[in-house]
Amino acid sequence: MSTDVVKILDGNTFVVSDGRGDIEASLTDPTGLFSFDTRFLSHWVLTVNGERLDALSTDDLQYFEARFFLVPGTGTVYVDADLSVIRRRVVANGFHEELVILNHGAEPVDLEVRIDAASDFADLFEVKDALKKKGVYETVVGEDSLQLVYRRQTFERSTWITASASASYDEDGLTFTATVAGHGRWTTELVVTTDQAGAELIRRGRSGPAQRTRVAEHMAKDLERWVDGAPRLECDNDELKVTYRRSLVDLAALRFVAPILPGHSLPAAGLPWFMTMFGRDSIFTSLQALPFTPDLAATTLRALGARQGTRLDDFRDEDPGRILHEMRYGEMTAFEERPHSPYYGCADATPLYVVLLDEYERWTGDTRLVRELEYEARAALAWIDEYADLQGNGYISYKRRNEKTGLENQCWKDSWDSISFRDGTLPGFPRATCELQGYAYDAKVRGARLARKVWRDVGLADRLEKEAADLKRRFNRDFWVEDGGYFAVAIDEQGRQVDSLTSNNGHLLWSGIVDKSKAKSVAGHLLSSRLFSGWGVRTLATGEGRFNPIGYHVGTVWPFDNSFIAWGLRRYGFKREAAQIAEGILAAAEFFDGRLPEAFGGYPRAMTKYPVQYPTACSPQAWSTGAPLLFLRTMLGLEPIGDHLVVDPALPETIGRMELLDIPGRWGRIDAFGRGRVDTAGADRRSRGGT
Amino acid sequence: MSPTARRPRTDRIQAFFEELASKGHEPLLHRATGTVRLDLRTDDAVEHWALSFVKGDISVSRRNARADASVGMERKLFEGMVKGTVNLNAALLRGVIDVHGDLGLVFALDRLLPGPPRSRASFLERQQELVP
Repeated sequence: MSTDVVKILDGNTFVVSDGRGDIEASLTDPTGLFSFDTRFLSHWVLTVNGERLDALSTDDLQYFEARFFLVPGTGTVYVDADLSVIRRRVVANGFHEELVILNHGAEPVDLEVRIDAASDFADLFEVKDALKKKGVYETVVGEDSLQLVYRRQTFERSTWITASASASYDEDGLTFTATVAGHGRWTTELVVTTDQAGAELIRRGRSGPAQRTRVAEHMAKDLERWVDGAPRLECDNDELKVTYRRSLVDLAALRFVAPILPGHSLPAAGLPWFMTMFGRDSIFTSLQALPFTPDLAATTLRALGARQGTRLDDFRDEDPGRILHEMRYGEMTAFEERPHSPYYGCADATPLYVVLLDEYERWTGDTRLVRELEYEARAALAWIDEYADLQGNGYISYKRRNEKTGLENQCWKDSWDSISFRDGTLPGFPRATCELQGYAYDAKVRGARLARKVWRDVGLADRLEKEAADLKRRFNRDFWVEDGGYFAVAIDEQGRQVDSLTSNNGHLLWSGIVDKSKAKSVAGHLLSSRLFSGWGVRTLATGEGRFNPIGYHVGTVWPFDNSFIAWGLRRYGFKREAAQIAEGILAAAEFFDGRLPEAFGGYPRAMTKYPVQYPTACSPQAWSTGAPLLFLRTMLGLEPIGDHLVVDPALPETIGRMELLDIPGRWGRIDAFGRGRVDTAGADRRSRGGT
Repeated sequence: MSPTARRPRTDRIQAFFEELASKGHEPLLHRATGTVRLDLRTDDAVEHWALSFVKGDISVSRRNARADASVGMERKLFEGMVKGTVNLNAALLRGVIDVHGDLGLVFALDRLLPGPPRSRASFLERQQELVP
């Protein structure tokens, strides 16, 4: 995508246009107006007296609002127009667009203002994979509206276009004719509404008021409340303040109301491809944001619990107790050409569900929710033993049952070549990746705590603790790569260790499954030049067969991954190392105006001086947005112990003094202070050894 | 109340509801409270079933009762659902079901529906293979 692409969004409705505000989508690029995974406008072009316009400037006022200052096209760099055109667009169940034309001349001018509009009603999956449509199109031209309709059997989606000023409508758009007095102005408001006839499921998920004039005001107030509700950050480092604010605002933008829980929001995964409920992404983001906006976790737990698997369904890779991977609402899902209704093919969200529930209680003291979700948490714990142990070896493994459209890799590194041996060969299935065992261990330990403390089931608590201890013992024996001093990324279908060195080791620290005696060696690898680029820990170490600094999961650095690695390092007492990683990723954030991308290149920091963005990375992406929040937590060493919040700061020197004020939790509100004392310059020098 | 529609001799829908009624409790529905009514259409009639949930307790009746949610569809489609061959969520997205009222109760109904019989069978086969 070019740099002048403008994205505005509200929940899972978003508009992607060029810098003029125009939309000219091809089948394969994700520009247009999208809502619930369907494109409702693929063409939206403004002309004045037959001329296209040029952008003087574009303001992303808020995440839901943009303003375009335009002049009639001159074809030259020399601009001396008598007319200015201002488009102000706000997303809300479609969008509202205020069009203002100013006549700077003394004489009146006759104007013909034209909007060309069309929609291909592409399913987001079709845009992603460039597929053809199977239904029929219809255009209904009314006296004061234009309706674009797509039908396939009973499936119907439509786009309504109306305007406040009188216009003449035709099949391809609408035209206004007006005379604007000298130094006068002309204005109209266009309203584009998306409609999903019969799809009650979707109507309920919509948010926002219907009155056009109040939309922006209402959303601005909501954003203000959101930011004000979060802790305040004061620090010497202004860049960090920018990153923090950016994270809060982007997190607000990515909030999404699932139809199952009207009135509550949880984080969607990312723009543009992933504006929907994802088990894994919603859980990780909720964990990152817990000290800041704990409500996200509560909604995530409720919504995912309500859609927890209840039956065996091979097409959807569903099992009883399994937490969903991804929910979609488009045409291909409706006609079961894709399994996302919802799709359950992920092996980590289910244990992580229990981890989030426990962590949520530790912060908030909300035992009511823990009781409310007892059934769901027990079902998740049961899934680990009854449905996830595909090899009968006591480990969670994955192998898709939907071999046509299911996901091959059901862990967070879900690309085809993400799990490999040192020599680059790929293992078969089922695969038991290492971090899954960590999550399972943590889920059992935390499940035991909840069983003892809240559900008052000592028998369950004892059993889970015993199973956890047994799992830890076996894991440290079976996954430990003796000649490397780290944990194998997986055990394959033949019981062999998949022996490449990966960032997954950091997640193992986070889960607490690593024997104390092995932790130092693991931490050493994470900060070694093979894994640590100076910006962060690479997904795969240099020197491995498949290493590629711009390979999606085989060499890039993922901010989300690093935020959990740093948390893991702190868990085992490696404060300095955690601060080192925090420094690297937060320094990288400065190059992206505080908005961390999904991933960036695994080149050594000393070589590139700036982080190289991964080409098609999603942005903003929820768990990248959450990463700085989790880094703040780890740097300050925030840990709820009983009814207290323990603060044990270990900040990089570059951060200086830092205060996080009004941290919400079971203690009410508490402030945390820290001062940067960790020298992080050394590792940067060390990383120069990497390639 | 006597059924208003002609039904085949082995009526899956009736069997499905009878089993639910005799079970009386389903922990999967512990969070659902309210009544959902099904309006199942055939060529010449509409067959009503009302399901009441109280924290997992289920009662079934054949009345055209007032309900917190109503779900209307072709009888044949619902027959597929109780067989496990039609997915309710996908059907909702296709627009083949009319839903009014509390959507949460519709999702509660969905939790009672089985998966495809073949998926169950292949799971049992895999379990067999794992036994040493």
